[in-house]
Amino acid sequence: MTRRALTNWLLLAAGLVVMAVMPALVSEYNLNMVVTILIYSLFALSFNILFGQAGLLSFGHAAYFGVGAYTSVILFKMAGFSLLPGILGASVAGGILGLLLGIFVVRLNGTYFALLTLAFNALLYAGAEKWRGLTGGEDGVAAMRPDLYIPGLGDVGMFSTLHWYYFVLIVVLLSTLFCWHFTKTPLGRLNECLRENEDRARFIGYNVYASQVVVNIISAFFAGLAGGLAGAFQEFVTVTFINLDKASEVLIMTFVGGSGTFWGPILGVSFLTYLNQWLSDLTEHWTLIQGIIFVALVMYAPQGLSGLLISVKDRLLGARAARMATAKETR
Amino acid sequence: MDILAALPVQALHGLVYGMLLFLVASGLTLIFGMMGVLNFAHGALYMLGAYFSYTVLQLTGQFWLCLLVAPLVVGLAGMIIERFFLRRVHVFGHAHELLLTFGMAYIIEELVKIFWGNEPLRVVLPPILAGSVPLLGIEYPVYRLFILGVSLLVFVLMFLVLYKTRAGIIVRAAVANTRMVNALGFNVPLVFLLLFGMGAWLAGLAGVIGGPYLITNPGMASTIIIDLFVVVVVGGLGSIQGALIASLLIGQLQSIGIMILPQFAMFFEFLLMALVLIFRPQGLMGESK
Repeated sequence: MTRRALTNWLLLAAGLVVMAVMPALVSEYNLNMVVTILIYSLFALSFNILFGQAGLLSFGHAAYFGVGAYTSVILFKMAGFSLLPGILGASVAGGILGLLLGIFVVRLNGTYFALLTLAFNALLYAGAEKWRGLTGGEDGVAAMRPDLYIPGLGDVGMFSTLHWYYFVLIVVLLSTLFCWHFTKTPLGRLNECLRENEDRARFIGYNVYASQVVVNIISAFFAGLAGGLAGAFQEFVTVTFINLDKASEVLIMTFVGGSGTFWGPILGVSFLTYLNQWLSDLTEHWTLIQGIIFVALVMYAPQGLSGLLISVKDRLLGARAARMATAKETR
Repeated sequence: MDILAALPVQALHGLVYGMLLFLVASGLTLIFGMMGVLNFAHGALYMLGAYFSYTVLQLTGQFWLCLLVAPLVVGLAGMIIERFFLRRVHVFGHAHELLLTFGMAYIIEELVKIFWGNEPLRVVLPPILAGSVPLLGIEYPVYRLFILGVSLLVFVLMFLVLYKTRAGIIVRAAVANTRMVNALGFNVPLVFLLLFGMGAWLAGLAGVIGGPYLITNPGMASTIIIDLFVVVVVGGLGSIQGALIASLLIGQLQSIGIMILPQFAMFFEFLLMALVLIFRPQGLMGESK
């Protein structure tokens, strides 16, 4: 194992340990903030499968998130589902929508992809607002977070923040692991290849269309999962889960963190959520500051915060390497 | 009221909104056609027009002065956005330009909330525009006819400029083939700057006349932006005639649709956009590039 890989593994292990003992470190209020960060991290990761890895800029990713949120809350309320089946139902609903929309959207790219995703999101938003019988319109639907049934253990209450935190942590970690592993699979590699040169992939003989539909389903599945968790977390879902502001939010968070790295979206979500928490005590114009940060990064650091970190690290390492080289020469 | 009897009036409503939409969309579609950038901030510029107009009216009490000053200020704002922001991210490609204008829209919307507040503002019209006249069997507000008149006037002027002047030929040529126009020695960045300013000026003008009609409020940008995108997509890349047809179509879809199927009026529009994108991505009047 190289030294660099070792450092990465150690960092990862340290991160896991911190996450595991988090409830002992922070107040219940802040633990809820961490849960929010976890859920939105998953949402942003799913978004980045399209944006960063496939190079497809979607303005309508809230469609999957929102449908996931509605599915879980409605399943809890009307069908009496317990926690895990409800969340799973949300992901499957997201995935099915990913298939239905994917059939149309992945044919396009660039601005037209952005526009069509926006149009579908707006369509679903209008649907959620009008279909009051199911969604409650602007009033929304509320349902208590059900217990988690574990075979052999019985029901585990999810009312306590502690239990809920560990549940979300495990679900998000497993999903993140899957998404990370996905980038190493042949399909994940092909996905990035399509971003760089779609024609070449087609010449080699890949079925570009089918693979992009599958990638869209995977992305939508995890967006639905994140939405399902968010619905269960708020114990409530309304049109703000599926509106265009929600779609913008995930785009901004992902971009600020940096779409070029796998971990960038998580960084963006953590940074902006924390900054929001900190600044909203000081000023009510948080959204303006968020917008300015976003534009500044678009102009001066298109790779986002993770890109900035990497270039700073490279510069430091480069300086050290240069120092060592001169030291060797003078010796 | 009987549906058939109401039809002409609803069609007139739709025509007024459609023409207003065209004012905003025409600049957007030309910029999109030439620069390949879909300007997300275009709706925000339209909103700025309405708010500047409100402020000028507060200060001077002259609605006609608003019509002159506010669009100019918005045009200037548009040129600043193009020159100092958009041009700098041009090297990173269209996705970044799209993201930049998206961020600018976000910022403008927040600034409007800070300076003018969240509440809708009321614009008092001069007496000559405030009344109503008998038309199609009802009393029709003069102001809506005024909107129709201004929009028609601007459309005719724009058409003449685009098709009868040298400047118009350069713009249309740049839409068709930007690189060739550049190679022929025209200063394409300058054309972009002026066109962007012109588009913003039109959006500002539409804001001034649309504000009293559609209510000046901080949500007016995000309300109109979807309609704008639908117009640009349905009309076709950079096609001014396409934009006109699509705007009028949207106007009718909204006003007639709301009368026949109030629950589903919104769907028709998105459905139209989705269908065009799926089956005819270049738009009704656009040529595929």
